[in-house]
Parts: sequence; structure tokens; C-alpha cells
Amino acid sequence: MAAEIVAAAITDVELMKASQIGMKALGAGMAVGLTGIASGIAEMAIGSAAVGATAENKDVFGLVLLLTVIPETIVIFGLVVALLLIF
Amino acid sequence: MVAVKSVFAPYIYVCTRMRVRKSKLIPRDEYMRMLNMSLPEITRVIQETEYKQEIDELGTVFKGIDLIEVALSWNLAKEYQKIQEITPGNLKEFTRSYLRRWDIQNVLTILRGKMQGEKTGKIKEILIPAGSLDRVVLDRLLAEDNPERIIEALRGNRMYPVIAREYPVAKESGSFSHMENELYKQFFSEIIAEAESGIKGGNQFLDFIRFDIDIRNIKTLFRLRADNFEEDARDMFIPGGMLTLTDFSNLNAIRDQGEFIEMLKVRIRNKFLVALLDELKGQTAVRDVEVRLTRVQLEQMESLSKRNPFSIHPILVYLEKKKYEVINLRALARGKESKLPSEKIAEYLVV
Repeated sequence: MAAEIVAAAITDVELMKASQIGMKALGAGMAVGLTGIASGIAEMAIGSAAVGATAENKDVFGLVLLLTVIPETIVIFGLVVALLLIF
Repeated sequence: MVAVKSVFAPYIYVCTRMRVRKSKLIPRDEYMRMLNMSLPEITRVIQETEYKQEIDELGTVFKGIDLIEVALSWNLAKEYQKIQEITPGNLKEFTRSYLRRWDIQNVLTILRGKMQGEKTGKIKEILIPAGSLDRVVLDRLLAEDNPERIIEALRGNRMYPVIAREYPVAKESGSFSHMENELYKQFFSEIIAEAESGIKGGNQFLDFIRFDIDIRNIKTLFRLRADNFEEDARDMFIPGGMLTLTDFSNLNAIRDQGEFIEMLKVRIRNKFLVALLDELKGQTAVRDVEVRLTRVQLEQMESLSKRNPFSIHPILVYLEKKKYEVINLRALARGKESKLPSEKIAEYLVV
């Protein structure tokens, strides 16, 4: 009887550990996914304006390219959070 | 999030292009510098700006003032057509509607030119094919021998009923002013109906139209005061703005300038316009009043375009400012050609 109780407790602990790993993976996925969507939305607006400005004045290409990739930092933060969660 | 979702990427693209183009317009200092130049020097300065292609192309055919006139008209038409090409969705519809006012101007120019027996080439030089009637249609109209045939050639166009109705009166009186008023009334009622039809962005377009109508009506009131026009002025009123027909008639009946401005201030709510009207007390030169009203209109449009950065407003601001740039350069060139003093020319500039 006691052996059965110990075995069940071990199984619960293993389940909990597995669940924690799963939750971490889910959190990491959400951190990268949601920040990716946010970056995409931000870059849509900046990119449209950047293409418009470049169409009128080719000299600003370098500058607007830099401005367009600034929202990439959001997804990089997401990636860092994901890596911290996993490792 | 809501704000981001409601902005359509092509709107951002086209509005940014309009802002960049607006930044390339000739600044005030350049006009002041041009006031001290001769006609060939002005031509050279214009050639260094956005008008280079037109000046280069037409340089072999035209000279002096004609070269500037034709190059400016060509550039304006090209610019307007290009904007119609790049604007997306509903903005294209609104831009087309706005540019239809050039149809009225072109058709009236052709009719007036033909009535006065002007040469076809001379009339063609001042046409701006920016509306729904393109260069081919305008050439066809120009090729007609008399105004009756021109009107017949317009059958099927939305302007035809008004032109056909008004032409006999215009022919008899020798003046197209009544026809012009009627055409603008029809134009404004149509674009108000389009803006109110529930198309997305229509409200912003409506803001512009209503203010445009108000400015036109106020300009008409000031002109009527300057001319001491005694006949019924109600024909000249354009409905759709903040002023009603009764307001217009009542304001026109007031003889004292101070009282007129006070009454007008009660009817309008725009802060720029109210501030200007305060400054206009005692001001009698109608030309100066008109220029200042135009400046207020541009200021108001600029303010609307900042409030709605991705709407029809940035496009309309650019279209209007471009139009006034061409008008300014034309005034400068014409003034220099007629050897007017710089101070006199400066009064006609909208900068």
C-alpha cells in the first residue's frame, strides 16, 4: 500500500516536471511569436513610409532601411526571453 | 493596436510620397530671390527644380514667357495624373473627384477661347488636362469649329446638361460667368454626395469640401463688396458650406465693413478664419484679402493633414500647394514680362 502511494507521488512529480517543461516551451514560443507579430505590424507602417520616401528621393534609402529594421529589436527581446526560459 | 489596424499600408506609402513632394516645393525665400531676377534668370532657376524635364523638352519650341507658361501647365498636368495613378482605393476616388474641377476650367477656357476667336494652339497652351477629360478629349474639343459643336461633343459627360441649359443665355449675354457658377454648384453638390455616400474616409474629404466652399463664398462676398454689386448676388452662392443662402444675402446687404466682419465671425467657427477676419477690419484691397484667405485655407488644410496623417488630407494639401506654386511662378513670370515692380508682384504671391 505504502509502495503504491510512493509510486503515485513519484508519478505526480514527474508529471509536474513534464508540465513545467511544456509550459516553458509554450512561453518561449509565445515570446518569440507575439513579438514577431508586433515587429511585423510596426515594420509594415515604417516600411510603407520608407518605400514611399525612397520612391521620391533615392538618397534616403540607407537611412530608411535603418529605421525599418529598428522594430526588429522587439523580436530580439522576445528571443532573449525565450532563450532564458528554455536554458 | 486599433489605430495600427485602421491604417492601410498603401495609405501610409502614398501620404509619405505626398509629404516628400511637398517638401520639394519652392520655399518662400526662393520666391523672394526670384523677385529680384530677370525672366531668363527665373527660367534658369525653374529649370533647376522639378520643372527641368518640361523646360528641356519645350525649350526648342517655345521661348521666354511662353516657355514658362507651357512648361508649368505641362508639369502640373503630369503631376496630377501621376498622383491619380499612385493613390490607392478610396483615396483615388476622392482625388479624381477633387480634380474634376479642372474639367470645368478646361471646358470654359475652350468655350471662351472659341467665342473670342483665339487660335487653337494658344488655347491649348493654357489647358491643364488633370481632370476626367484627358488630352485626347480636349484635343477633340479644340478641333471643333464652334461652341455649339463643342457642347454637342460633350454629350454624355456629367457637365453636359448644365452647359446645354446655360449656353443660350451665355451666348446672348456674351459672358460665361453664370454658366461657371452653375457648373461649380453642380460640381460641389456631386462631390458632397460622394463624400456622404458612406465611403471610408468620406468625412475627412467632406471637411475639406465644406471649408473650400466657405472660403469661396467669403471671397465672393468680399469681391461683391469691392465692386458695389447691386443686383441679386444669390446666384453666386455655393450651397454646402457653413453659410446658408439667407446668411449670404444678409451679409451681402451689410454696407459697413466692420459690421460685416462681426456678422461673418458669428457664422463661422474656424479659429484661423476668425483670427484673419479680425485682421481684415479696415482692409479694402480685395486682392490682398483673397490672397490672405487662400493662405488661411492652406493653413487649415495643413492642420487637417497633421490631424489625419494617413487620409485624403496630405494628398489634397500637396495638390493645392502645387497649384499655388504654379500660379505663383506664372504671376512672377508675367509680372516680370510686364515690367511690374517687385513689390506689386509680391502682393500676388501665395507663399
